[in-house]
Formats: sequence, structure tokens, C-alpha cells
Amino acid sequence: MHAIERILVWLSLQVASLEQINAFFGSAQNTAIVLGALIALSGGMLGSFLLLRGMALTSDAISHTVLLGIVVAFMIMGAVGAIPDISSPWLLIGAAAAGVSTVVLTELLNSSGLLKQDAALGLVFPLLFALAVIFISRYVEDVHIDEDAVMVGEIGIAWANTNSHAFGDYETLVIDQNDPQAEISRRCVNCREEGISPRDPGAVFEELCTNCGEYSPAEAYRAGFSDEPPVLVFWPRSITVMLVLFLLTLGFVLLFFKELKLSTFDPGLARSLGFRPTLLLYVLMSLVSLVAVGAFEAVGSILVIGFFIIPAATAYLVTDHLGVMILLSGIIGSLSSAWGYQLARGRFLGLNLDRLVPGGWDTSISASIVVMMTMIFLATLMASPRYGLISGILRRYRRRREFNDQVILGHIYHHSGQEDQRSELEAGSLRVHVQWEQPVLDRVIQRIRSRGLVEIDEEGCFCLTEEGRKEVESFWQSGLARKAPPPRKRGQIRVSTRD
Amino acid sequence: MMGSEAQAGISDRNVWIITGIAILILLLSLPLAVLFGVRFTYTLQTVTLGGALLGAVSGTVGSFAVLRKQSLLGDALSHAALPGVGIAFLVAGRQLWALLAGAAIAGLIGVWFINLVTRNTRIKQDTAMGIVLTGWFALGIGILAFIQQRPDASQAGLDSFIFGQAAAMVRSDLYTLAGVGAALILVIALAWKEFKLITFDPDFAAANGFPIRFITGLLLALLVMTVVLGLQLAGVVLMVGLLIAPGVAARQWTNKLGQMVVLAGVIGAASGGAGAVASALDRDLPTGPLIIVFAALFVLISIFFAPGRGMLWVWNLRRRNRTEHAADNVLKFVIEYGRSHNDPNKPVSSEFLEGVLGSSARRGIRELLLSGRLSADEDGYRLTPGETRDLPEGG
Repeated sequence: MHAIERILVWLSLQVASLEQINAFFGSAQNTAIVLGALIALSGGMLGSFLLLRGMALTSDAISHTVLLGIVVAFMIMGAVGAIPDISSPWLLIGAAAAGVSTVVLTELLNSSGLLKQDAALGLVFPLLFALAVIFISRYVEDVHIDEDAVMVGEIGIAWANTNSHAFGDYETLVIDQNDPQAEISRRCVNCREEGISPRDPGAVFEELCTNCGEYSPAEAYRAGFSDEPPVLVFWPRSITVMLVLFLLTLGFVLLFFKELKLSTFDPGLARSLGFRPTLLLYVLMSLVSLVAVGAFEAVGSILVIGFFIIPAATAYLVTDHLGVMILLSGIIGSLSSAWGYQLARGRFLGLNLDRLVPGGWDTSISASIVVMMTMIFLATLMASPRYGLISGILRRYRRRREFNDQVILGHIYHHSGQEDQRSELEAGSLRVHVQWEQPVLDRVIQRIRSRGLVEIDEEGCFCLTEEGRKEVESFWQSGLARKAPPPRKRGQIRVSTRD
Repeated sequence: MMGSEAQAGISDRNVWIITGIAILILLLSLPLAVLFGVRFTYTLQTVTLGGALLGAVSGTVGSFAVLRKQSLLGDALSHAALPGVGIAFLVAGRQLWALLAGAAIAGLIGVWFINLVTRNTRIKQDTAMGIVLTGWFALGIGILAFIQQRPDASQAGLDSFIFGQAAAMVRSDLYTLAGVGAALILVIALAWKEFKLITFDPDFAAANGFPIRFITGLLLALLVMTVVLGLQLAGVVLMVGLLIAPGVAARQWTNKLGQMVVLAGVIGAASGGAGAVASALDRDLPTGPLIIVFAALFVLISIFFAPGRGMLWVWNLRRRNRTEHAADNVLKFVIEYGRSHNDPNKPVSSEFLEGVLGSSARRGIRELLLSGRLSADEDGYRLTPGETRDLPEGG
């Protein structure tokens, strides 16, 4: 991890100066927003596929069961004597294994045919989570599960947890025994065994260097080997973790976009074409597990589900293209991350919320980000041009209006030129024939008259204008007529509807 | 695929078997625990009773969720309840009825929103549940952050939301649990016909003029109340398991709703009680997770051993079928062989039979030899006299 981090720092030094980087990540706000955006970008990519596969809640299950993988890896590392370290690759492997086994177990239960998919998932993940909690409280002595951390994470203080890197002229300082700065002490090798004093001529001495070794520039400064304080890049650790996971996810999605797309929309075809949809699914689930673990420290195990699902669902309301959906979900997630941070600090849409609360507005950053995501989802749900509620209501309203118009136009069309024309089409009697409420009928008539489709002739009857005739005929040709040809037999058209 | 043939083994006797197992586990756990040095202190009595009560209620209510394919709704609702709990706390303080009401209202708004989204857009139910789960939860966390700032924040009971805190249970909680639980079960008993109808055939119910929206809402409200009741003892995640597992286990033993619901209650109570007792074995054992482990054990027992549906039953049935058909196949092949050679007594070698029919031929031959329908000599196998003429043409 350290080497990767060094490369990342080196790369960012190519585009920005050292002071700029330190100033940037030295601010809690920037670090939190970048971290949130990275989680949202990775989550959005994976979440889009989960959503389209109908596995959205699998992210919920996985974000809980990775705990079991981590705990088991922890226990194994403890048993073999390795020092448990939270950024160890073994923990990540354990987490990925737990995520995959959640899916495998669910599929296994599901394939028994004895219980439904949702019940299988709902059985597996509480059980694995329960086992994790039992293991933690029983075998892992020192780990205290901070409930706050599980719920909301600590994205706000991510900036404080940094590694320092030195670049440029600052090289590692090596002190060996010949170095003038080396501190040499002598130790009698055989004094204790032979019971002689160090002054005894028979005593054999060994030279020991107490401060030999490699020093990073910061350590060298601290130990007094160099007078100048080194110039260091302070780099938040969680940024590295999430950046690596993001690049991993991005690489996977870019490389296997075609395969992922095919196996998402038509797994049967993918299998018959010789792709391996199951293998692909397991890789996908491993990545979900890894992102869940990587994001755990920052946003907790529950809110991370929001990062997977909500931006992807929002994008799904706007577009029909998978690529656009992924891109859009990343943008929505990143925006939420920035705006959510502002919201947590009491600024929302230019308003200052501080005065609303007696103690001052100060709330959880990660929760605010998810709240922001939800608000963007709500806004999109309302206003999406194609799939939104408002456009749906408008569409239904317009369709109903058009239908009503067509009913009246059709009625007039039928009876024009027939012998019952007078009784059927007389302006005052229309209501008897269609049996609508008067205000509804009035509105319809007013509308079709103002559109110039219908006029009242000298006998007080409705008759179609040339446009009206065309309108009716084109309506029939456009589909209705093909399915049900206009009945030629006479009779009342009884359609009850409300405008 | 294993449908009708497998269902044959389901009878009312099953219910008594699994009820017996459940009661046995519960009863055995008490002397075993004493044997291992558990002392039934006041706290342990409370927690055990609480676990059993909660298990009974959530098993009963959860059965409907399982059957209506809404298993994970409990998960979404239990998270979505948080803002309601927070607001209720701000308004009324730490009053259980207020927290319950707040949670129920927040949960029902969540359900309404899930329905709104799934009905009007192409977003599917699981995604909508995920959105409500995290969105509402985040809102709740935000509200909790304000509560924590308040000087009067005696917010004990709110922070045990995730894992539950069984040890914090006191007698009065038990009374609440029993009271509310009894009320929930009473509602189920009163609205039994309606619940049954919307579970199995909501369209029929709607066509017959039942107010299905109201009934569905009522059922969901029961679910929310149960979840909130269990939060303190088991925590959010484990509550999901406790809702689903008893229902899934009970489903394997019976095809009747009444039996299933009661059975789920019994299994839930047994898991709750036994889990609570087992957690007293060691200071470090948490109660909620152990209850889930016991409930999962019941599921395992059920999906393997339940007569009629269980996996062992089905495997056994398949094995028997294979054996029977092996004999039939051998017999048929020998007859066809004789016919095609115009010599009903022409012997067939075992290598030939195995080559054509595969490895199951050996089993078939053995069975036919035992029943005396096939005879063997050095040339191979032939039909015993008498068999040849009795068999019908073709096949």
C-alpha cells in the first residue's frame, strides 16, 4: 500500500506543487468531499449493474457480511502470529470472500426451491452478521466496535489520518557504523557468564551502534541528523484506499463493459456465447465487498448502501443508456458529496441553517451526503422528463383529454349524414348520448371548437369541419381502427369518463 | 420441479414433530445451562422471557412477510424507523409508546414511498427499498446528531439501535413486550380471513370488495411495530433474521397457513428463549446474535429433514425413483433385444447392458435377479420363462 501511495503522491506532484497538495488535503472539507466522491464514483459504477440485475439489496447484505470476513481474517492472522493490521491485504481478501459467499449461499438456498430469493438473502446475511458479532465479542479482545462508527463512519476526520511522504532532494538517510554521527557503545560479551568485571583484561567487547539504520527525512530531522525540517506531503490514507478501489473498479468496468452489459441484460445469451456470467458476477460481488470495506471507515456499513443504490437509481430515472447511467450516477454522487458536506455544516441552497437550531447546526457529514442523494432522487423523481411523476401526470392528463376529444369527434363523425343526424347531433342533446357530466362535456366541446374541428351548423347541430374529419380518420388509421374497426351499426356510444 | 410428488409427505403429523423438537430444544436448554453453571438471575429470566416473547411475535407476524415475498421489507422498515424514533424522542422524550408510534409512522411513510416509486416508475421494489432504507436512515442519523447535542440527551436506548442491548431489559419492558405482542397477535386473529386472502390472492380480495389497501397497510403496520419492539433486544440487522427465519422454517413442515403461523410463533419462541439462555454461558456472548443462530439452526433442520419438502426427503425420493426406473429400463432393453433378434431367450451380456444403459444398469440387474425376473448364466442375462409372455407390447 505504501508503494502505491508513493506513486499516487508522485503523480499528483506532477500536476500540483507540494504546498498546494498539503493545503488541499489539509482541509477537512476537501478531503471529505474527495473521499465521498470517490466512494460515490465506485459505488455508482457497481450500483448501476446491481440495480439492473435486480440485486440492489445484495449490496445491503454484503455491506454487513464483510464484517464476518474481516473478523475471520483477523482471527487467522492472530492465530499465525501476524500482527493484525486493518489495511492488510488478508483482510481485504477475507472481506471479498465473505461477500462472494453471501451470494453463493443465497443462490444455494434459492436453488433448493424451498424458499424464495428474498427470504434466502434475508436469512443468510443476518446469520453471517450474527456470527461476526459473536466472534468479535468472544475472540477479538481489543476490538471495540464503536456503534457510531458502524452507523455513520468518520469521513469528517479522514484528513487527520495521514501518511507523510518526502520527495525531491530528501533521500533516505543511512547511518552505518562508520558514519561520524553514529553512536557507538561497547558491550562486554563474556562478563556476566565468566563473572568478571569489564575492566578485567580478559573481557571481550563488542561494538554496538545504537542509532544505525535507515531514516526517512522526517525521522532524520527528528533525530537531529539534519538541521532543516523536511518538506513533506501529507496524504490521507483513506484517499489512497478509495482511489485504488476506484481505479480497480473503473478498470474492471472499462475492460469488461461489453461482457458486463451482456450478462446483465441477457445472462442466457452471454452464457451461450461462451462468456462466463457467473464468474463475472463473483468478480462484481468481490468489488462490491471491497468498496464496502474501503468505505466502512468513512461512511459506515449502512450509509454505504446509499452510495451504491441512490445515485444509480436517480440516473436510471433519466436515461436508457448504460454508459450514460454510470456516468450520471458518478456525477450525482460527487455533487451530493459536495453539497452534503455543506448541508452538514448548515449551508443549504445558500441558506444558513445555523440559526434554526439552538446549539448550532452540526450534524453527521456522511448522513448529510446520503440525505442529499435522497433529495436529488426526489427532485428527479418529480421532474425527470421521461420517467418522472410530473411528466407522467401530464402525459396521462393529455391522453385523457385526447381520448375525450376523440370520443366526441367519433360520435359526430358516425352520425353525420345518417338519418338520425338531427336527434343525435343536436347541440343540447349530446349529453344524453355520451352520458358525461355537463361540465366535462362543455370543456371538451369548447376545446374541439376552439381547435376548429367542430362547428355548429344553421340547424343547431354539430358537424365536423374538414380538419375535424381528417383528425378522426387519422386517429383511426394510427392504430385504433386497425384493432377495432369503427362499428357501423347505430347506437349510443356510452363512455363514462372524467375529464 | 419437486412439486407434487414431494408434497405427499406433508401431513398434520409434521406439525407435532417440529413443535416437539422446538419445545425439546427450549426445555433442554434450561437443565443444560444449569449443568454448565448458568445461574438464572433476575436479568437472565427477564432476557429469556423477553427473547421468547419477541420470537413468538416476530415469527407470527413474519410468516406473512415471508409468504408475501416481502422478507426484506422488514429490513428496510427497521432502518426507516429511525427518523420517526428520533422525532418522537424530541417531542415526547423516552416514552416507549411515542417511540413506537414514531417508528410506525416513519415506516409507513417509507412503505408508501416504496409503493409510489414502484407503481409510477420503472424502478423495482428492491431498489426502492434500498433507497428508503438508506435515505430514511440517514435522515434519522442527522436527527440523532441533534439529540446528542442537547443537554438533556438521556438517549440511552437509541444508540443500541444496531446491535441491540438485551442486558438492558427490565421487567417493565417485558410487560410492554407482552402487552403489545398480545395486541398484535389479537389483530392477526381478528383479521385472519382478510390477511389470508391478501396473502394468497390479493386480486380476488380486491374483486370481492375487500379494502386491500387498508388490510395491506394494517399488515405492514404490524410488521413495523414488531420490528420496533425487537430493536432493543436484537438490533436492526438481527431483527430481520428473526422475522424471516421462523416463518421459513415453519413453511417446510406444513401447507396450511394456520399451522404455519402458529408453528412460526413456537419456533421463534424456542429460538428466542434458547438463544438468550445460551448467551448466559459466557460473559462475552451477545444475546441477539445467538438468537439468530438458533433460528438459523431451525431453518437448517427444517430444510433438510422436513418430511415431504425437506432436501433429504426429496433426495431419497429421487434415489428410489432412479432405482425403480433402472430395473424397468433393463427389463425393457432385454425384451426389445430379444424381439429384434426374433429370439425372446437371447442372452444379453452385462457389458452390453452397462454400455447402453450406463452405470445404473448394474443396480437394475441386481434388483431383477433378486426378484427372479431375470436369470443369469455364462452367456449373459435372459428373462426367466413366464416373464416373456406376460409383458405388454412396446413401451
